[in-house]
Amino acid sequence: MQLPTDELKNKIIKALNLDKITPADIQDDQPLFGGGLGLDSLDALDLVSMLERDYGILIQDMESARQAFATYRTLEDFVQRNRR
Amino acid sequence: MSSRRPVVTGLGIITAAGCGVSAVWDALRTGRSGLGPLTLFASPRYGSHQVGQVRAEVDQLAGDARGSRSDKLAWIAAREAIRQSGLAAPLAGARADRAAVLLGTTVAGILGTETMLDRLLRKQRHSFIPARYHECASATDLCARRFGARGPTATFSTACSAGALAIATAAELIENDEADVALAGGADSLSRLTLNGFGSLLLLDAEGCRPFDAARAGISLGEGAAMLVLEADETARARGARILARLSGWGASCDATHPTAPDAQGGGAAAAMQQALERGGLTPLDIGYVSAHGTGTPDNDVMEARALRRVFGDAAPPFASVKRFFGHTLAASGAIQAVVCVQALREQAAPGNLGFEKMDPQIGLEPSRGFQSRRLQHVLSNSFGFGGNNVVLVFSNAGSDPVSAAVRRPRRPSAMPLAVLGAGLVSAGGHTMAGVRNALAQGGATPSWLELAAPFPLGRMRGYTCGDIGANEAIPAARRRRLGHLQQMALLAAKRSLPQGLPAWLAPDRVCAAIGTGLGCLGETAAFVENMLVNEERAPLAGRFANSVHNACASQLAIEFNLRGLNSTSTHREISFEAALWHGANELRQGRADMALAGAADELSPYAQAVGERWGWWDGNAPAIRPFGRELKGRRRPLPGEGAAVFTLVRDGQGPPPLARLRSVRFGRFAAPAGGPPEAQGEAAWIRETLERDGVALASADLLLTGASGWPPWDDACREVASVLSVLRGRELNCGAYKQACGEHYSASAFGFFVALGLVRGEIEPGLCLAGADTGARPPRTVLLYTLAPGGSHALCCVCA
Repeated sequence: MQLPTDELKNKIIKALNLDKITPADIQDDQPLFGGGLGLDSLDALDLVSMLERDYGILIQDMESARQAFATYRTLEDFVQRNRR
Repeated sequence: MSSRRPVVTGLGIITAAGCGVSAVWDALRTGRSGLGPLTLFASPRYGSHQVGQVRAEVDQLAGDARGSRSDKLAWIAAREAIRQSGLAAPLAGARADRAAVLLGTTVAGILGTETMLDRLLRKQRHSFIPARYHECASATDLCARRFGARGPTATFSTACSAGALAIATAAELIENDEADVALAGGADSLSRLTLNGFGSLLLLDAEGCRPFDAARAGISLGEGAAMLVLEADETARARGARILARLSGWGASCDATHPTAPDAQGGGAAAAMQQALERGGLTPLDIGYVSAHGTGTPDNDVMEARALRRVFGDAAPPFASVKRFFGHTLAASGAIQAVVCVQALREQAAPGNLGFEKMDPQIGLEPSRGFQSRRLQHVLSNSFGFGGNNVVLVFSNAGSDPVSAAVRRPRRPSAMPLAVLGAGLVSAGGHTMAGVRNALAQGGATPSWLELAAPFPLGRMRGYTCGDIGANEAIPAARRRRLGHLQQMALLAAKRSLPQGLPAWLAPDRVCAAIGTGLGCLGETAAFVENMLVNEERAPLAGRFANSVHNACASQLAIEFNLRGLNSTSTHREISFEAALWHGANELRQGRADMALAGAADELSPYAQAVGERWGWWDGNAPAIRPFGRELKGRRRPLPGEGAAVFTLVRDGQGPPPLARLRSVRFGRFAAPAGGPPEAQGEAAWIRETLERDGVALASADLLLTGASGWPPWDDACREVASVLSVLRGRELNCGAYKQACGEHYSASAFGFFVALGLVRGEIEPGLCLAGADTGARPPRTVLLYTLAPGGSHALCCVCA
């Protein structure tokens, strides 16, 4: 099932308190971390929390999430495949 | 040879692997881990994890000592250490005045607070008693009371290095001749906050930690306490004490670039080890064993191995982590390792690294496997905390010759004047000197209403909030989004104290930061706990946990200004600021730092306000603060407040013309009947002695600036101290106050220090602090900032033009 447009982006913005960022600023194929958004490993953990709360996806270690967290597009695919 | 060198005369310990030095040593000798199932509380998410829970009956062992589980653990260890030292507790007379108590804790009483909040949330019957023991200072005050100590008493919360920092600070006080004996160590209980917090960081290994092993997957959380009795060599010998070992070196550094991750290259850790060796006049070859921090997280162990290689080259001495025996006991861990190190020297044997099986090529070093007899002269102990707070201790054989340290110490360090170059403020009374002057001229700041957020039904209250603190303009959004209110206040105050940033002539490793906070980031902590309770441990908030540690402010300063010197966080109620200021001043006086950022910050979070009210510290329904006004009757307490102030200090004569000079800073305990204010004669004598010690004439003082807040017994105590001092010197000493402009809070004396600067600079007329009285236009040249804490602490700073 397709996620509603910008739903995940809005959730990322809210979870990470990205004040001045709009969904359009999160480009689908840019790296999520270490890129223009200025996100780091602690943000990744806050995303892990958001995925659990909002999509029921439980991530036990960052190694297994590394690929999913590569870009926005990989994360969206991951959420669509694993959401409960 | 300096006979002020610190020696160890007593050890006490309680851990999951046993209670008492001999039981713990037996576990280490036989390789018996204390890890096991969690039964202390229910945890839906982490209930099946292996933890280092103390199995002994803590409540029973603690006897009639009241307090949180952390408090009781601390006292059980302290009692054992005092007994071994042969000192009579409680101490009396001159010996009590020269006795210090320094404790590191991170978790403090949160375990009880969680239970209280859980019941509150479920609308079950609850008591607010746990809140009384919530604070970090609770364990320290318990131990100080029972030990009878009246010397320097402070609490440090630099996360996992706090116990080691407390021990290092005790050593400084002893070498400085500011104390003869010190009870020092760390204590932390298990809690849902830390279990879920480390869980949110994905740093827990459910099966039990495996330090340095290729398959390591995180820490096991533990609990416990360890305490040392440290004494000056000369006083220990004079009373015929048995010397167990010498504390020959210690070092502290900071490598914060991230709130929770260590510097991957181990630079800060290596710097702290090198400092400790240098202080002890030792070389790497002298070290026979290293008690590693070795938490079992992938990052720490790689970093630590790199740091060991940086210091020891390819010839690293045998090293081992004891975390698999006890779990990671956070603030207690450094003190527990210290006890292990002293015992290793005495037994000439050292424990192995339980949990290690296979070498990790990334680490490339193999820890010592089993318990082994060793010839040991000097052993080194590592402690590293969140926020890059690294502390290293070196212990040496009691019989070994103290090597003449390469580091020279000034003869009377406390008498060395320092220059205050900058001052930054966030307060309800304004954020500038002019703003504070105007607030004082209007009789104080204006309190505002604070809405208490769901889900805790705690009502609606008033307090002195800081309003718009200007964070939006001063802190970039990308940075601000991750900072809690307290961190924003502290960062802003620091930026205002350093408007041009750090001067270019300063090397980052020569700048230290020492920040006091009585309650820490309680807003962030409450948000984490609330989410944990409401969601039954689902989706824990990692960012909130990282912000919840008390040292989150000091480490933010380190990140902002790239500070690499000592990074200290002191958490001792009303004297948190003075203990931090002392720490910063001491680094300058010892020549280890060329600039110190020292300050304090506390926030008015709904949770703190509501619970603080029920402890009877402050009162959200009180009238506005009128010092000496005698309006608070019965159970009424002063209105709460919040704020942050940070000052930049250098040695006098360095840098541009200063704002003012700091001539004296001292903190300690007073003797008083249960919970009441001290008696004025003793206080006046203490103040006079402090000024004499530091070369300031009592006659030169123009004003005693106090924390009077309209609470009659304490206001009266302040006024009486001023009148006794007046008699002593034969001339009136005015008594002033400042809390009408900042509210009652644990960091208020940092605001008072800001006011003292304004007074000696002639920017605030003295009459404005005198509750209506006017004593003429002449600006005071010397202001004594005097702070009393209902927990039994007092502090004095002397600020001069």
